[in-house]
Amino acid sequence: MSTEKEYKPVTVDKLIPNTFDLGNLATFDPNPLDNSKLNNDNEREEYLTSVTRDNVQLLINQILSLPVKTTTDSQVTSTGQNSTMTLIQLPEPTTLLPREKSVPKAKAPTKWEQFAARKGIKAKAKDGKLIYDEASGEWVPKWGYKGKNKELDSQWLVEVEDKVKNTDKELIDPRTLKRAERKKLVKKNELQHKRNLKNQST
Amino acid sequence: MIRTIKPKNARSKRALAKKEAKLVENTKSALFVPGSSGSKVLHDSMVDLMAIKKPFAKKFSKKNDIRPFEDYSELEFFSEKNDSSIIVFSSHNKKRPNNLIISRFFNYKVYDMIELTILNYKLLQDFKKVTFTIGLKPMFVFNGPLFDSHPVYMHLKSLFMDLYRGEETDLQDAAGLQYIIALSAGELSESNINNDINDNNNKNLPNLHFRVYKLKTFRSGQKLPRVEIDEIGPRFDFKIGRRITPSEEVEKQAMERPKQLQAKTKKNVSTDFMGDKVAQIHMGKQDLGKLQTRKMKGLKARYDQDSDFDEENDQDFGEGYEDAMESDIEYDAPQSKKQKV
Repeated sequence: MSTEKEYKPVTVDKLIPNTFDLGNLATFDPNPLDNSKLNNDNEREEYLTSVTRDNVQLLINQILSLPVKTTTDSQVTSTGQNSTMTLIQLPEPTTLLPREKSVPKAKAPTKWEQFAARKGIKAKAKDGKLIYDEASGEWVPKWGYKGKNKELDSQWLVEVEDKVKNTDKELIDPRTLKRAERKKLVKKNELQHKRNLKNQST
Repeated sequence: MIRTIKPKNARSKRALAKKEAKLVENTKSALFVPGSSGSKVLHDSMVDLMAIKKPFAKKFSKKNDIRPFEDYSELEFFSEKNDSSIIVFSSHNKKRPNNLIISRFFNYKVYDMIELTILNYKLLQDFKKVTFTIGLKPMFVFNGPLFDSHPVYMHLKSLFMDLYRGEETDLQDAAGLQYIIALSAGELSESNINNDINDNNNKNLPNLHFRVYKLKTFRSGQKLPRVEIDEIGPRFDFKIGRRITPSEEVEKQAMERPKQLQAKTKKNVSTDFMGDKVAQIHMGKQDLGKLQTRKMKGLKARYDQDSDFDEENDQDFGEGYEDAMESDIEYDAPQSKKQKV
């Protein structure tokens, strides 16, 4: 074989230049097609193929002149070797296509978030679930199973709180009172959560 | 509407989260639904059209008695149930034989719909050629000026790009450039030019030619390769039928780009006529009192006579800042510091 081979050209002449949407790997040829050739069953395929080939050549020329990023990905191929990939960096697509679903809306702020924003209150940093129990010298959970907020439950002697004194609740077990208080807080929080959800949906 | 229930376990919760509206959307999946009566042509065409769409495609095997242009509520239900926003529906009857109705959905409601009648076809199996691996992004070629000017063809352009473009990406593997979807349309005939361009039931529009080619590259003696193409099928010639277009309001909503994804314009950065990047930077005032000068034993703070030595060095370095920075390295120690005890 001779090395001085006649190469076919890589350039294409167009009356009106093509437009490209390289983000979608697309090209748009604004040159009119020949209707007589399109309607002729014998000529149609050859004609379409030749027109398309020219346009693909233009598109490939454009795509391959985009910036390239070569990576040595440690992709395990069937041969078990690392392969290098030539990645072409595509620009943003320019053809506008409709979305599948509408743009998600930002969540409406809760009543607390509104209040905090008004007063300029910043969220506290989370400091974990455990708290140091000085009596036993151990780290115990603040709430939940064996939580610090339940420590009265296991004590054999519990002081009656000052605010309960001289009221009708004085004779009730302080442990029961404390438990009722905890349950009330949970209920209140649930109520607030529900209210916020309702406000968000409207 | 499908009843939504609160998810009871993590798996169903994930499944619901997947369906939710996202900022960056997933690839649209297509659903292929056969109509109440079909033909072999239609069935095979659907299989072939689906082959290019894989893996983002789903197919129904049972027949469905739906007339999409009369009542599309059933299709909307399918769209929501299967979370697919493109439905290809096939129907075959005496008046309109070998029909494909391709509809797109926005928020599970019909966005647009177009009817394509298959005139000529050649299926994948008839080509008997080596095809491409599934899931690759195709290249698109649109031949004809109608795709930029005529609303029906702009619709088709948008539809086929939407259907087949696959995953949106900013990096494309060069080896993945394997096949081309080419759509061609001829010229409008004389009688058509005078017609109202927005008439949805326009007859005698030029046919749409759908071709799929495989890319072959050859050495050209240059960096860019010589391209040849080889048709691998499927091949369809479509006649364009009825059409439903989105209302302006819905279209605006669907074309909305989220603000978070829009690139911010960078302030103070520009490119000059040489192509060099020029930027203006703003820096705080330099505290020369803390400047590290030459290190000598005699310059240590404990040998200081008076503490207010840096007052005389207080100059305004606002403008010639960079010059000051350079010369400061060679800067001699302040006079007051040089004095020894």
